[in-house]
Amino acid sequence: MKLAGLKTVESAHDESIWAAAWVPATDERPALLMTGSLDETVRLWRPDELAPAGPPSRGHALGVISVAAHPAGTVAASASLDSFIRVFDVDSNASIATLEAPPSEVWNMQFDPKGTVLAVAGGGSASVKLWDTSTWQLIANLAVPRPEGARPDRTGSGKFVLSVAWSPDGKRLACGSMDGTIAVFDVARAKFLHHLEGHSGPVRSLVFSPVDPRVLFTACDDTHVRIYDTDGKSMVGAMSDHVSWVLSVDASPDGAAIVTGSSDKTVRLWDLSMRAAVQTMTNHSAQVWGVAFRPPGGTGVRAVRLASVSDDKSISLYDYS
Amino acid sequence: MAGCIYIPVQNSEEEVKVPLDSLPQDANDILDILKAEQAPLDLWLIIAREYFKQNKVEQFRQVLQEGSSPEIDEYYADVKYERIAILNALGAYYTYLGKMETNKSKKDEHFILATQCYNRASRIDVHEPSTWIGKGQLCVAKGELQNAASAFQIVLGDDPNNVPALLGQACVDFNTAENEEQYKKAMDLYKSSLELYKRALLANPNCPAAVRLGVGLCRYRLGQFEKARQAFERVLQANPENVEALVALGIMDLQTNEDHGVRGGMEDMRRAFEIHPYCSMALNHLANHYFFTGQHFLVEQLTEAALAATNHGLMKSHSYYNLARSYHSKGDFEKAARYYMASVKEIKKPQDFILPYYGLGQVQLKLGDFRSSLSSFEKVLEVQPENCESLKAVGHIYAQLGQHDKAIETFRKATRIDPKDAEAFVELGELQISSDAGAALDAFKTARNLLSKRGEEVPIQLLNNIGVLYFEKGDFQLAEQTFKEALGEGIWLSVLDGRIGSSKVDCSAYSVQYRDFSLFQQLEAEGTSLDLPWDNVTTLYNLARLLEQLQETGKASILYHLILFKYPDYVDAYLRLAAMAKSRNDIQLGIQLIGDALKVDDKYPNALSMLGTLELLNDDWVKAKDTFRAAKDATDGKDSYSLLSLANWNYFAALRSEKRGPKLEATHLEKAKELYTKVLMLHPGNLYAANGAGIVLAEKGHFDVAKDIFTQVQEAASGSVFVQMPDVWVNLAHVYFAQGHFALAVKMYQNCLRKFYHDTDTQILLYLARTYYEAEQWQDCKKTLLRAIHLAPWNYTLRFDAGVAMQKFSASTLQKTKRTADEVRSTVTELKNAVRVFSQLSAASSYHSHGFDEKKIETHVEYCKHLLDAAKVHCEAAEREEQQNRQRLEVARQVSLAEEARRKAEEQRKIQLERRKQEDELKQLMQQERNFERIKEQWKNSSNIASNKRKERSHGEQDEEGGHGERRRRKGTKRRKKDKKTKAQYEEEEADMDDEPEEVDEDASMNDHEDAAEKAQDHLLAAGLEDSDAEDDMGEPSSTINRKRRAWSESDDDDVPLDKLPESSPSGYKENSAESDEEMRGNKVRRNAVDEEEDDE
Repeated sequence: MKLAGLKTVESAHDESIWAAAWVPATDERPALLMTGSLDETVRLWRPDELAPAGPPSRGHALGVISVAAHPAGTVAASASLDSFIRVFDVDSNASIATLEAPPSEVWNMQFDPKGTVLAVAGGGSASVKLWDTSTWQLIANLAVPRPEGARPDRTGSGKFVLSVAWSPDGKRLACGSMDGTIAVFDVARAKFLHHLEGHSGPVRSLVFSPVDPRVLFTACDDTHVRIYDTDGKSMVGAMSDHVSWVLSVDASPDGAAIVTGSSDKTVRLWDLSMRAAVQTMTNHSAQVWGVAFRPPGGTGVRAVRLASVSDDKSISLYDYS
Repeated sequence: MAGCIYIPVQNSEEEVKVPLDSLPQDANDILDILKAEQAPLDLWLIIAREYFKQNKVEQFRQVLQEGSSPEIDEYYADVKYERIAILNALGAYYTYLGKMETNKSKKDEHFILATQCYNRASRIDVHEPSTWIGKGQLCVAKGELQNAASAFQIVLGDDPNNVPALLGQACVDFNTAENEEQYKKAMDLYKSSLELYKRALLANPNCPAAVRLGVGLCRYRLGQFEKARQAFERVLQANPENVEALVALGIMDLQTNEDHGVRGGMEDMRRAFEIHPYCSMALNHLANHYFFTGQHFLVEQLTEAALAATNHGLMKSHSYYNLARSYHSKGDFEKAARYYMASVKEIKKPQDFILPYYGLGQVQLKLGDFRSSLSSFEKVLEVQPENCESLKAVGHIYAQLGQHDKAIETFRKATRIDPKDAEAFVELGELQISSDAGAALDAFKTARNLLSKRGEEVPIQLLNNIGVLYFEKGDFQLAEQTFKEALGEGIWLSVLDGRIGSSKVDCSAYSVQYRDFSLFQQLEAEGTSLDLPWDNVTTLYNLARLLEQLQETGKASILYHLILFKYPDYVDAYLRLAAMAKSRNDIQLGIQLIGDALKVDDKYPNALSMLGTLELLNDDWVKAKDTFRAAKDATDGKDSYSLLSLANWNYFAALRSEKRGPKLEATHLEKAKELYTKVLMLHPGNLYAANGAGIVLAEKGHFDVAKDIFTQVQEAASGSVFVQMPDVWVNLAHVYFAQGHFALAVKMYQNCLRKFYHDTDTQILLYLARTYYEAEQWQDCKKTLLRAIHLAPWNYTLRFDAGVAMQKFSASTLQKTKRTADEVRSTVTELKNAVRVFSQLSAASSYHSHGFDEKKIETHVEYCKHLLDAAKVHCEAAEREEQQNRQRLEVARQVSLAEEARRKAEEQRKIQLERRKQEDELKQLMQQERNFERIKEQWKNSSNIASNKRKERSHGEQDEEGGHGERRRRKGTKRRKKDKKTKAQYEEEEADMDDEPEEVDEDASMNDHEDAAEKAQDHLLAAGLEDSDAEDDMGEPSSTINRKRRAWSESDDDDVPLDKLPESSPSGYKENSAESDEEMRGNKVRRNAVDEEEDDE
């Protein structure tokens, strides 16, 4: 189990890169890497040489904070600090819709595995918004309740939802909050199930294991990575090696490893069987805001690729084996 | 030898029979006889010797003195040998006296007398060997070995087998060897001495046993112990009562260090003691033995006997030493010290007998007399520079005296000499904890390895220390392992692997019942053992601290509770629980927990300080102040932490927004400064106090002084691994900012962010943004704020600030005198963004109380919208302008085109003119030609005229050509001029285009803007904001002092109530010092280990 650096593109954007996601391959083209940056652009990159796959698409204000790709690979969404979501056609870059649900802001977002729903972390509105991907209408608002006994703190913001993740079977939705709790929803019934506790800082990123729909990995500002059993609502394990905030996490397609990016400028590879960091990549010179494994599929694609993006404006591509 | 001698009566055959065993008490009786009968001198000698044997020294001396008197010399002038013998005997006697005498002057007297005797003997016969031998022995007694040797050599030159000379020489060699410092030379001398003894034995196989003693001693010195033993045994065979041999054998036996050997040795000693109870050597050794067997009474008796028996300094010293040791081990240090002193006093050279110095040092150390102890140990080290025990003792003393560097140096040496001494490594480690944690850790690890190699149990204190050091280094896993190893088996293991706690009580549920011990009661009821030995508490506490660090707060809290369950007085556990509550923002619980802690000890300064901090967080200003005061009083004002807390309180109080009054502010600041200074006086190295003093100075506007202080603190802080003081960087940056060095401030903030926060601290990003704002780098400002929002999405203040920054940017762009349409357009976008941000904020306020006045946001929105309107006008204007520009350019182009066309036409015309002219000329020419033809016809008439005509013609042609060329040239220049003129014209025109309409437009736009500003002003006034021009509330009144203060107050941006924003430096300080306080406590705890350090050899 190891990562081998393949390529790094310096100054891929004009400013810090904050978001990265792979657009799955279609019949016409291979998978593309999609990145969003403080420079208010979203850019697409060819998978191997990391050459720009098109001109940067503009239209956002105040910095792109999140990007998400439809599982079919044709549609993608990008969100910026001004709380607008732009839905666009990947190949033509034509806008399909602009979503907003004031006064809710927009943070992390993810399409469900079937591609029918887009889940968006609603920040201070303490909710997750679900958008129908055919009509682009708001279909549900999953509110995160306060855990029992929690005291309202002085700012009054009990829950601030930062991150969302769909379970691979599409039945569960987990969302991470600023206070370190993770809320789990039953999507079909639009029902809140329970909180997962343990983290003591904002949970900025979470991802379900691609092989086990119960297992959730979380990345938190408290420098730890935790593994939860979402149904048993218990913590399975915790791993810590980062020396600063863990900003992003992604699970390898084989489910044997996860990769995290941190504000300590490193990318770490964790062996889940050993519950320990087995490799540390130090090629970035600033916070690593995003890590993403390329989804399997596409013609003639065997190798598993990982991309990481950083405040240092660079994109790095690795081979995972 | 008992018998009689017969003194022949003079002039007769009779003899006077004198029984030797009943010599008269008064020597005069016999002397009278001897003198009267003129007895042969050998009889005199025999009688003297007999007296000597009978220990009647006085009589002996009398006889010999009479026998060597001048009358005798005269009378027996021809009897040489006997006279010499008498003199020699007398000489030997004085030599003996001199040897035994301890009084220096008397000693010398005796030696002088002896010398006189020998000299007289020599005068009688220079060659008499016995005289020389006597002289040699005298020299030996006087210690002049060289002279002695030459005396013996003279004898041996005549008779190589002279036994006494051989023995004398052997003795000289042996003694020289004893004094010889060079090992090899000494060995050679021992060998030659041995050789001499052997020769003596060969020459006289029946010589006394003492000779064999010499052989034995030589062999002993040469390391041939078996042969030495044989020699001693032969001595004993010959003379079973020879004490020296017995003692020597005894010593050898004792040195074997084996049970039966020691026993045999003691047997020998006891026999020697029985034979001759006054042999102090034997007494000392016996005492030594009984010391080790613990029979102190015997020791004292024996040593007292030995003291009485000897005058020899070294022996006495040994005896005193034994006595001192005995008292030492009984714990009577005063007496022990006295006897050690006595022992030391008897020693002339420390290298003869060093042990009493060592003992003295130990006792002095025990009695707390470090300086004397140090000098005693240093004496030991002079003799034995590699003595580990002494090195350790010296190191320990240095540590006690506070000379850490020397102490460390000494221990390093000790560990170098004996790399297996675990205790030395432990001490070394403890000394290095504060200065060099890495080295300390290494030392501790070595000690642990040594101990476990030796199969000894590693003390929990040592493991605890190792764990703490790993902890501090950030090696949490190793730390956890070490703590676990230190703690061994126990309930905590089940807590650690989650069997207790997580299964029974949900983490969240548990955290609610913070003061609940039911878990343990339940466990005890179930029969689980909750044993927690007192030794383990410290380590368990440290483990809990580690878990806290690892964010395993649930487990940590269980462990703290366990400690409290077993030891409800362990205040620190309450404090940690309170700190945990504090970090969860549960201030009420924290205060309750501190209350519990204070029930245990209501004067515990740490608890009081923490309570104060919590009360401060709770906005309970008055209470906090009282608490800090109480903390200060509890420590008599000696505790810098409570003093600093109070100082900080004053500082905060000075800057409180709601009750801000210049007078109050000044007094508070003054008080804060006073307290900071006080702390600095107590601890000149207290960085936090220095930092605080710097802040106060800066607050008062003494930026340069403050800068100096901060710079120094920064340097000091970066020199230490343990102190992390980002605040001072921030403060330094603040000062740069206040002084208007924006670039430097930016650098400083950025460095601080990178160095300490992994670029994640939004507060500092906010400072950075503010600096950019002040430096009017709007885009940087905006980007910085956006980054901050990205890092702290829940901080709506940042959004507000971002909005303000954009608004300000737009306003300033619109105010610029020159701007492009692009600029204006981006301004419009920015304004739209600002409006969006503000309206989002106002919308968000429906479910968030983020502390903004709704109305104010409204105002901002209004103002932005207004600006937007204005901007639209501007935009249109700019666009129109641009359009006009374009049109004008177009016109200009057309004009120039027309011009060109005109010029071309002109040229054309000219060319035509030219052509016409040429044609005319041609016509003329042809005309002339024709005329000429005509005239030619006439010329044919006369040739004279003809030549003349030709001349004229050629002239005419020339003229034609020249004129034409010139005209052409002139035309060329004219054209150039024309060109120039057009160009200039163009330029002018362009300039005109630039200028004229601009002016007009400018006015218009100014009007526009003023209008806009006025309107905006109205809005602002409506909101109660009194700002001149579009500066708005982010830009302060232009008075620099005010601005500086504002900058300083860190409260930063906007009118957001000051207390809403955490104040960076002092609060940061609090955290830090709280931590350092804990570290201090950790150290205190660690000192536990340093208790067992008194030991014997």
